[in-house]
Amino acid sequence: MTAAPATLASAPPGTWRLALRDRSLLVDRRAFVAAAVLAALVVAAVAAGLAIGTASVPLGRTLPAVVGVGEARDLLLVRQLRMPRIAAGLAVGAALGVAGVLLQTLARNRLATPDTVGLNDGATAFAVASVVAVSTTVTPSAFALVGSATAAALAIGLAGGTGHRGYRFLVVGLGVGAALGSVTNLVLARAPIDEANRAFPWTIGSLNSRSPAAVAVLAVALAVVLPVAVVLGRQLRLLRLADAVVTGLGQRVRRVRLAVVAVAVVAAGLSVAVAGPLGLVALVAPEIARKAAGPRVVPVVGSALAGALVVLLADLVGRTVAAPLELPAGLVTAVVGGPYLLWLLLTTRTRRMP
Amino acid sequence: MSTVEAPSAEPAVEVADLATERLDLGYDGTRVVHALDLRLPPGRVTAIVGPNGCGKSTLLGALARVHGPQGGAVLLDGRDLATLRPRDAARRIGLLPQQAEAPDGLTVRDLVRYGRHPHQGLLRQWSPGDAAAVHRALAAADLLDLADRPLDTLSGGQRQRAWIAMVVAQETAVVLLDEPTSALDLGHQLEVLDLVHDLAARGRTVVLVLHDLSTACRHADHLVAMRAGRVVAEGPPADVVTPALVRELYGVEAQVLRDPTSGTPVVCPVRRVREG
Repeated sequence: MTAAPATLASAPPGTWRLALRDRSLLVDRRAFVAAAVLAALVVAAVAAGLAIGTASVPLGRTLPAVVGVGEARDLLLVRQLRMPRIAAGLAVGAALGVAGVLLQTLARNRLATPDTVGLNDGATAFAVASVVAVSTTVTPSAFALVGSATAAALAIGLAGGTGHRGYRFLVVGLGVGAALGSVTNLVLARAPIDEANRAFPWTIGSLNSRSPAAVAVLAVALAVVLPVAVVLGRQLRLLRLADAVVTGLGQRVRRVRLAVVAVAVVAAGLSVAVAGPLGLVALVAPEIARKAAGPRVVPVVGSALAGALVVLLADLVGRTVAAPLELPAGLVTAVVGGPYLLWLLLTTRTRRMP
Repeated sequence: MSTVEAPSAEPAVEVADLATERLDLGYDGTRVVHALDLRLPPGRVTAIVGPNGCGKSTLLGALARVHGPQGGAVLLDGRDLATLRPRDAARRIGLLPQQAEAPDGLTVRDLVRYGRHPHQGLLRQWSPGDAAAVHRALAAADLLDLADRPLDTLSGGQRQRAWIAMVVAQETAVVLLDEPTSALDLGHQLEVLDLVHDLAARGRTVVLVLHDLSTACRHADHLVAMRAGRVVAEGPPADVVTPALVRELYGVEAQVLRDPTSGTPVVCPVRRVREG
């Protein structure tokens, strides 16, 4: 094509077009603003999480403490105790948000999340089994990932793919999740009490004293998986339409599905490996992101940020609401998310996703 | 605001020659279409008709690579369609399947933009060509005034026109539409069929699956009548549609009259006849 002046390629309303010669990117303005606002809220939640607790650190002293300046007490609270768990919360929340929005888009159903299609149950079952039954040299994190992949493979295999309306995938996933959940219970019931005690934290999501190694693995995985999910964004938008439409537009449906499932499995599995199953984050976070980003996009980044925000807030609430007693973040998300799930089931046409 | 150039001239549509060669189609175990040899006249409107389950929608899907053949091939300009890259095929053949649904809140323009997908890439997300094609498609479907309305606020006919506009924006030589007028009232049907005529008038090969035989006669240049996965008759509607054909297709005794305005066949069913 002859070099047309860039001004002629007026971007569609509501978008910014960034162009360099014949290369071009289209940024949805509403989605961009939504992500920026969510990012600001995440920053605020991080600051609050670092400052607030059974022993508070004034905000003015929190930031210096982060970079290692301040009294020994502040340094202990901020750097030793709170920073690791907030890093874990960020990574876990982002991973759950991404896994949720991917699975929902894949199944064209808002109820499809790592919790509901069994990925979290699979990861938990394998992690628990590894603590109880297998010699502890193998990290439960690896087992959580394998468990999540197993659950996905079972659900997809038994459903004969993820196609059509995704109902079958969802229903089969529920069954797979229930079966794997009972495996967890069985293993815990049969195990000696000490080992069951050691495995128990894997059955309820919490950011308390999580393995820094697992957090690091998840962070690295996110660094790979998030860009992949962002690059898949254009294809994800298409996946919201019927398969025949998508094929007609020249997109290889199966290939995109496979990539989406792979990313979701890695994100969900590793999040369980870090924090155990944090219920309903993956359901709520994409919902927040979609409301904010509008119907044009599938908000991958927005869902990651919303997920991080939800987990950080849940952890903060869990740490403060009944202090000095600490409620696990997974309990908080379940208490808040449960009614929301009910409301969603009762009010929405689940066939279409906004 | 959009300062798009005045509706720019549409790039000349290269004519595509779409045909099938001993094409077998089916879903695990059941054969739906048998050894079908068919050639779709370039630049004309072809209507595929036949009773429910005769394989017409399956055939249309195969022409757009939604189902792969179990035997034989779909040929585009003499080349096996299955050997083309999906994106290249989608630049030549566009498909609107039945009962397409869009996410809530999507606007007409958002939907029509999807039609540009096969022309775009990761680092080529919006070109001047895309802007012009979307504008032309909206104009062709008479939707410029409604472009920024959410689809769920439109009438059935307008929504269907928006979906067709999506396929139009794809700027393919072949446009395949599966029952584009079903569930529309008479006025909305004509609204959609007028658009179909415009497409063919601009040199595109249009293939429609239609339920109603009289509508097909009125609006198609070429009729393909299918029954049980085989073509039983093919040609200009006036030559093909006879009481004998209606009986063979639907098991219905009918009178075939002439439409007083267009002179095309009109089918008036008389009674159902038992098939042996």
